[in-house]
This record gives sequence, C-alpha cells and structure tokens, in this order.
Amino acid sequence: MQSQLSRRSLLKLTGLAGLGAAAAGCSSGPPDGTATWSMWSSSPAERKVWDAFGAYVERELGVRSAAMLTPSGGYPTKLDLQLVSGTAGLVTAINGTLIPTYAARGAHQPLDDLIAADPDFDLTDFYQPIRKISSFNGKTYAIGFDVAPTVLYYNKTLLAKQGIPEPSPTEPMPWATFRELAKELTRPPDQYGFTCAPAIDDLVSWIYCAGGNVMNDDATRSILAEPEALEAVQFVVDLFVKDKVTPPIANLVTENSLANFLEGNVAFMQNGPWQVVNVRKAKFDWDVVPFPAGAVGSTPRVSGSGFAIPSGVRGKDLELAWKLLKTLTSTGALDIYAKAGRNNPARLSAGSAFKPPPDNLGIVQQILAGKLAGGHPFDVTSNWNQVKQLLGQDLPRTFLGQVPVRDAIDGLTPRLDVLMQQHQDNVRQATARKG
Amino acid sequence: MAVETLTAPPATGRSASAHGSRKPRSREALTAWLFILPSLIGFLVFTAGPVLAAGVISLLDWNLFSPPTWAGLRNFARLGPDPTFWSALGNTAYFTFLSVPLTLLVSLVLALLLNQGLRRVAVFRSLLLLPYATITVAVAFVWIWLYIPHDGLVNAVLGLIGIDGPAWLISDFWAMPALIAMSVWKSFGFGMVVFLAGLQAIPQQLYEAARVDGSSAWQRFRNVTLPMLSPAMFFVVVTSIIGSFQVFDQALIMTNGGPGSRTTTLVMYIYRTGFENYDQGYAAAQSLVLFGFIVVITAAQFLLQRRLVHYDN
Repeated sequence: MQSQLSRRSLLKLTGLAGLGAAAAGCSSGPPDGTATWSMWSSSPAERKVWDAFGAYVERELGVRSAAMLTPSGGYPTKLDLQLVSGTAGLVTAINGTLIPTYAARGAHQPLDDLIAADPDFDLTDFYQPIRKISSFNGKTYAIGFDVAPTVLYYNKTLLAKQGIPEPSPTEPMPWATFRELAKELTRPPDQYGFTCAPAIDDLVSWIYCAGGNVMNDDATRSILAEPEALEAVQFVVDLFVKDKVTPPIANLVTENSLANFLEGNVAFMQNGPWQVVNVRKAKFDWDVVPFPAGAVGSTPRVSGSGFAIPSGVRGKDLELAWKLLKTLTSTGALDIYAKAGRNNPARLSAGSAFKPPPDNLGIVQQILAGKLAGGHPFDVTSNWNQVKQLLGQDLPRTFLGQVPVRDAIDGLTPRLDVLMQQHQDNVRQATARKG
Repeated sequence: MAVETLTAPPATGRSASAHGSRKPRSREALTAWLFILPSLIGFLVFTAGPVLAAGVISLLDWNLFSPPTWAGLRNFARLGPDPTFWSALGNTAYFTFLSVPLTLLVSLVLALLLNQGLRRVAVFRSLLLLPYATITVAVAFVWIWLYIPHDGLVNAVLGLIGIDGPAWLISDFWAMPALIAMSVWKSFGFGMVVFLAGLQAIPQQLYEAARVDGSSAWQRFRNVTLPMLSPAMFFVVVTSIIGSFQVFDQALIMTNGGPGSRTTTLVMYIYRTGFENYDQGYAAAQSLVLFGFIVVITAAQFLLQRRLVHYDN
C-alpha cells in the first residue's frame, strides 16, 4: 500500500535532512588515530606518489592514513586556514622557503626534543643543506623529504646539430664560456642559447656563484647593492637585454623557462632536478651539467622541502605525529618518491633511488655530498614572501630593459633593509615566545 | 478608503482583531519576513559580520597564529607613509575612471543597436552576453594569448594596418590599458542587458510626440532616450564603480601587479598583506578604507542622482 507524504511530513523530513547535512558538515574530519598529513599535489602523477606514501604509512604504522591534498598554488593559503582552524594534518609539508615564516609565527613546533628522545631517528642521514633549510633560530622545525641544487639542463640534440661539443659533466664551465656558447647557439627568432625565469628564485644562483647574497650573514641588512651581487644580476640581465640570447619575455606571469626549453629550440635551461620528471617528456636528447662557475665557483642555490608538526598537536596526537613524520621521511618512503622521479630525496640512504635519465643525474648527489662543484642553501628570512614580492616588483623590469640594474637595486635596497629589520623583530619575538 | 483601513490604526483603540484584520496582516508580515530572512541572514553573516570583524581586526596586530595584540589606530596610521598603498589606490582609480565610462559607452551603443528590431536579436543578445557569463580566470588566460607581443592576435591585427603593437602586458604604459580593454569586453554584457530593458520600457508615445514636433534622431536620443534611460544608467554606473574598485582577479592572473607595481590594485594589495604577508590588522585597515571610499563615492552618486536621474513617475 502506498502512503501519501503530507506537506508537514515533507517539511519535517527536509528539516531533519538539513540538520543531518549540517552535522556532517560540522564534523571534525577523520576519526582519532588517523595519520593525517597535509601536502600539495597538482597532477595525477603527484597524486599517485602520495597515494603510494599513504599505503606505505598504513603498512608501517598500522593506522589509517589520510592525505589532505591541495594544488600547490593555493597550498600556503589553505594550510594557513587549516592551521588556524585546527583542521591541518598531524604533519604538514612545507616548502623550505616558508619554514622560517611558519616557525617565526609559532605555527609549527621545534622538533629537537623529539629528535633527542628518539634513538631510532638519525638526523645525520639527511644532507647538510636540507638540515640548514629546515632550521630557524637555532632549532629544527622540519625534516626534509627532498633537497637539490640548481643544475644546467642542455639540449644535446641542438648542440650536436650545431657541431658544438657537449659541456663537461663534472667541470662547471666559467660564466664567460657559458655566455659565448649561449651567443653562438642563438639564432633569433627560432633558436636561443639560454632560458631562466626573470625572478629572484633563479637569480640567486648567479648571485651565490659570484660570492654575493640578497642579505648579509645575520640577515640584518641587504647586500644586493654590493659589487658581487650587482655583477651577477648585471650578467644575467645582459643575457636578456644586451646579448638577447633568451626567448623574448611575453608577459611576467606565465613566463616559463621549462616551457621554453621543452619547445626544443633553447640550448640551456637553469632549473632544479625536480623538473627531471617533466623534462623526460622532451622529444630531444638532453642531459644535466653543474651550474656555470662564477668568481667563487659553482655554488648555485640548494632548495628543499620538509614535513613539520603544527604547534597545536599535543599528547597522544604528538606521539602519532612524530611516528608519521618519521615514516614519511624514512628511506622507504623517500625511495618511493625518488623512484617516481619527483626529485632528489633528502636522505643520503635514499639517494640511489633517483635514477637516470638523464645520464648525469648522479651529479646531483655528488654536489650535495660535496664531491663535485658545490651548492648554497637558499637563504631566506621569516618574511620571505614580502622580500620576494618587493624583488618581484622591480627586478623583472631590468630584464625588460625598462630600468638599469643599478637604479633598480638602489631603489630596492632601503626597502629591503626595512624588511630585514622586520625579520629581526620576528626573530626576537620568536625567541621571547620560546623563553 | 481602503488605503486608510490598511495603514491607519483603528481610531477607537479597539484591537484590530475585533475588526477581523490582524490575523491576515500578521500572516502577511510573517510571510514577508520569511521571504526576507534568508537574505537577511546572508547579509548579517557574510556582509555585516565580516565588516564588523574587520573593524575589530584593524585595531590589532595579528599574524593568525600568535595571540593578537592591541594596536589601536596604528594600522590606519601606517597607511599614510605606505607608498604601495597609495600607488595601488591610484591604479585602482585609474582603472575605474577609464573602465566605467568605456563599459557604459559600449553597453549603451550595443543596447541601442539591439533595440532596432534586428532579426534574430535573441541570438545576438546571447552571444554578446557570453563574455559576462564566462569566468574571469578563463577570459584572462585567453587575453594573455591575445596580447602576446609577436604572435598574438591583437598585434597581428594592428600589423595589418601598419602598426607595430607594443608588448602589452609588460609595458609600463600599456599594461593598465590592456587590462581595462579586457575588463570592458568582459563586463559590457551586464550593462547592455540593463540598458536594453530600460530602452524597451520607454513609452513609444514619447518618440511619436517628439517626431510630431519635428525633432531629429539626435534630439530624440538626447531629450527622450537619455533622460528615460537615466535610472538604468545610474544603476549600471553605481554597480560598475563598486565592481571596479574591487578589481582583483584579472590583474592577478594577467600581470601579477606588474610591471613594477603599475597594475597592482588595492584589493590585490589587501590580499597580499593579509594572506601572503600575514599582517591581518593592516589588511583589515586597508579594506575598511576601501569600504569607506566606496561608501563615499556611492553616497555622492546618490546625491547627484536627484539632479541627473529622471524618474517618469
């Protein structure tokens, strides 16, 4: 027998359903004891790696793993909201450039006590640069999962076509040689010698190789106007403006050195081994060599990322968080990461899992181990976003030939100095909070 | 008499229910409130609440994680010597005072054309409304391609008439006009539909009377169409100015505020201050100042409305 639903009953049911939906919406996420971790993920390939990480965590820890994935562009904003609302994972991934920013704001907790209390955990198995990148104010705030120096990619096919011998896989070429080679390989508008992004992230490698930096050792003032840094910026800007060995800049937002290189008509690209996975799609033969050597040698920036534990994680959750962090940065997990070709793993014991192609991929581990050329951990401040924004305003105009390098840097320096003082305030506040 | 019954209280002081009118009126009022309620809740939760919260946050130093500390009016005092704030405000004003009149003009011209009794007018109307209906992110990416200096369509077309087009999005001079052109294209559809509705509501007798008086087409447009369309125009101007002061997404996607800070808009600066530099108090102070600008400009428009807008009734 069919019963008719009265209007009143329908309203009641709708109301109950609404309440149920609201209650479900207000629920606090996965049940207690779940190993939750926040991570960025912008492609199906990345997702596959994190799924494999999840399976590894479940196997190792015997608890449910829940990865909270967000596209990389919006990850810091999403992470902020998650941290503020207490909905972040027990462990959160952070790009190395943001570790001091989060640490100074008290968003993540120092891990030194956990490390000291755990005899199973060996920090010395991690490359030294990632240990520096993961520290702030003398404390360790993250454990790395990848670390890599910038290298020089080159199009073997293009060089062979021009009859130019391949560069040495072990001896970094001097800047002057690199410049001449880039000029020789440039045939506008169809072929260019070099590509990089007109931004500080790419410029710093040249600045470090010239013996300069954005800031002094204790980050109290900017030294971008000192001769070493100035020379480096001028050298790269000249490649764009004077020598015109780079593809012309169409706009400053979507300018992409990888896309330029993958076109097949650019001889050299500076980039990290994190792009190996993408460059493997290239329809030409290619390889990597050490970054060109400046006045102090080949010491390009070394970048990395790590896992950290939010400040609010305490008690039993903290125990699980530490176990989870150890598992996510263990040799087994980093082997998965490296085998998928995502990037060079942060542990020495997982290094061999990151396999060629390219043929010379081994130089990445040799550089990190100090056996070949060198590297310089990416020096950042606790307000690096602001520093980057400021540098992102006027430095690109030098690459466009709109402003001379000297004028741009002279204009930027006093404002950079203000940001360095703000950074010092942040450090002081973080120190006081700790006390 | 009927009006008196509905609006005036009973003279005798006896309850309305004694006349049998209270129940229906209460029910009407209840129904009205029920209809208003979702909007009212939305307004309180998503508009009034955040404005009040911004008012409180603007008086604090707060990086989201450490406990906030009292700042008083210090965040407002920071605005004066902040060159980026003033340059962002200047850029936003430049954008507004060029994009709004241009959008208005294009919308009006197209509405007038569509009002000429063209065949298949619905098709044209839909096609012209498409840019407005398309999300800004998608439109912005298409326009980035159009603006490519060497192979882009815009410079290719200019090349046909012998003009060597600039590198639009990286030029100090052209980056903002390039954004404005894209924004006009994106938003004229809204104004066009409003104008079209306004044009179709103008009584034909007014045009017939004007014709009988021997007025020319231009005189009819000036003395009939424009005054009768002024309420619609007022609506479009007010909403366009408010929208333009909040311009954000296209500038972020197409130029990221550059070159230099030539296209950094106020909302972009507020977003960066709050969510990239974690300076919530200062971002809230900036947003309140923007709110104040919009309120003052809108109030001024409403004052001018008495003189410039013609209401038929």
